[in-house]
Amino acid sequence: MTGSWRRTAARFLGDRAALMGASLILLLVLAAVFAPLLSPFPADVAEFHTANRLRPPDGVNWLGTDRMGSDLLSRILFGARITISIALIAVGSAVLLGVPVGLVAGYYGGWPSDLLMRVSDIFLAVPQIVLAIAIAQTLGPSIENVILALSITYWPFWARLVYAETRSIKNEVFVESAIALGASSLRVMAMHILPNIASAIIVRTSIGMGATILTAAALGFLGLGAPPPAPEWGRMIAESREFLPEAWWYATAPGIAIFMVVMGFNLLGDGLRDILDPRIRRAVGRHA
Amino acid sequence: MRRLEMVLSRLAWFFPTMAGLIVIVFLISNVIPTDPVRIVAGENATPEQVAALRVKLGYDKPIAIQLLNHFRDVLSGNLGVSIYTQRPISEDLAKRLPATLELSITALSLAILLGIPLGVVSALRRNAWIDQVLRVISVSGLAIAAFWLAMELQFLFSMKLRVAPLNGRIDGFGPEPYTGFYVLDSLIGRDWESLGSALSHLALPALTLALPAAATILRFARAGVLEVINSNHVLYQRAMGIPPRLIVWKYVLRNALISTVTQIGLIFGVLLTNAVVIETVFDWPGLGSFAVQSILQSDHKAIIGFTIWTGGLIVVVNLLVDLLHSVIDPRGAR
Repeated sequence: MTGSWRRTAARFLGDRAALMGASLILLLVLAAVFAPLLSPFPADVAEFHTANRLRPPDGVNWLGTDRMGSDLLSRILFGARITISIALIAVGSAVLLGVPVGLVAGYYGGWPSDLLMRVSDIFLAVPQIVLAIAIAQTLGPSIENVILALSITYWPFWARLVYAETRSIKNEVFVESAIALGASSLRVMAMHILPNIASAIIVRTSIGMGATILTAAALGFLGLGAPPPAPEWGRMIAESREFLPEAWWYATAPGIAIFMVVMGFNLLGDGLRDILDPRIRRAVGRHA
Repeated sequence: MRRLEMVLSRLAWFFPTMAGLIVIVFLISNVIPTDPVRIVAGENATPEQVAALRVKLGYDKPIAIQLLNHFRDVLSGNLGVSIYTQRPISEDLAKRLPATLELSITALSLAILLGIPLGVVSALRRNAWIDQVLRVISVSGLAIAAFWLAMELQFLFSMKLRVAPLNGRIDGFGPEPYTGFYVLDSLIGRDWESLGSALSHLALPALTLALPAAATILRFARAGVLEVINSNHVLYQRAMGIPPRLIVWKYVLRNALISTVTQIGLIFGVLLTNAVVIETVFDWPGLGSFAVQSILQSDHKAIIGFTIWTGGLIVVVNLLVDLLHSVIDPRGAR
């Protein structure tokens, strides 16, 4: 077991894309944790200095200032906290809901699991953002509601994946022998099936984080995210719209922040897929 | 026979899926602890007025009855009246559907025209510099927030270079309406001025929508080609002395197309998702901007109507994709 993990780690360090993805995510985490220390003007998240409004980037405000005269760099660093908590909690609850549903449905089969999978199909039939908009709108704009809306709309992705993976390995010899040895269903699912489908879940989760951050930003852009003055990146871009021709830096900075973070999760997911899934590696090569 | 069976079973699932969609949207909007009657009544309504309105709108009945009523309304095409436009919601949605379809079909065509050739090139020149460059571009294309890209394109092409209109769908009144698709309508009516205007308005939003879709298609086309290029039948064709060019264009490309077509349902979903925000940025009078306006107006029924229409659209597209797939790839029919 340790040998295989060491090999995986070595492959990870050899994969430039995965490494770059991990570095970008690390950057996000550092920005979120140390935002108060890294920000040149930590108070600017809530304070306004209208005299300084819409200043282009210079030695004092590295990324310029916004319509309230607040330092954009400081706001973006604090915004990392919102982004990371939305992504972690929303994807986390989607995984916690979707994985058991898929596992149980895939393991037992029969009409209840057919029904369960049909329900998840229906969720997948609606564009995520549409359902999320409907939910976030009825609940009112707040971070908690964005998280709730995203979790409700994203769990079927994991349920579907885990269902398919469970179905494909539940008739393998090692599962059958575990059952023959008298292991309970719960034990078979948790100790024998789950570890064998973990890599697929990890890959899907990494890519799902990127997608969730984009959807959350879009909700923020539409005014359904955290209410002002929260430094939410999507909302910042929405606020910059009316100043677009003159204040080019205003929209650019949060847009690049979103891009870097989503890129980080996508690269990591791609890299992990190459490393963890030997089937794909053989079929399409390392850079598929 | 198998194909017919598959088609029938897909068609049979269409109705339960749509019914499920209607139920889920209804439950989401009802389980949530806000009172729709209070929103409709306004802040200044007295408790008596709210109670009277509750009876009038049918919200006083048990939830099962409400659900049945809701079903009856949706099936008869009655989605209620929009608070914002004061017109029936179905009418508003029907009027805006062509705009969204014109935009997303243009974007999808653009994405296919870009994605498939580039994906094939990428696979044939695997790990060469062009593959690396395309890989970086396609990974980036999937990481850009669509609404941000839209704004940056507006900034560059409309505000700085002034080569494309900033927003809207057409200058003036538009062509004689035959289909609601402006490009098609101006071709039918030989209205060249409208055609030019429609195309120039279409350019930036279609480009914004096409980029992430093209990135997805590129990746699937590349994977599809790589899968078949190492296969035994291509090895056999090579050994038979069939020119590589012919192998690629006749046999390998077919496989790339198959792996792309299976994903078009998924890509269309992504397109519609992005259209919601893109239409708002470009002031495009489609379903997406209708949804956002309804949100801003807290127009409950309009949002439900929009969700059912878009969900239905995606279900139909997925159905068509399944049928198309069974035609070009007989293996799938099994």
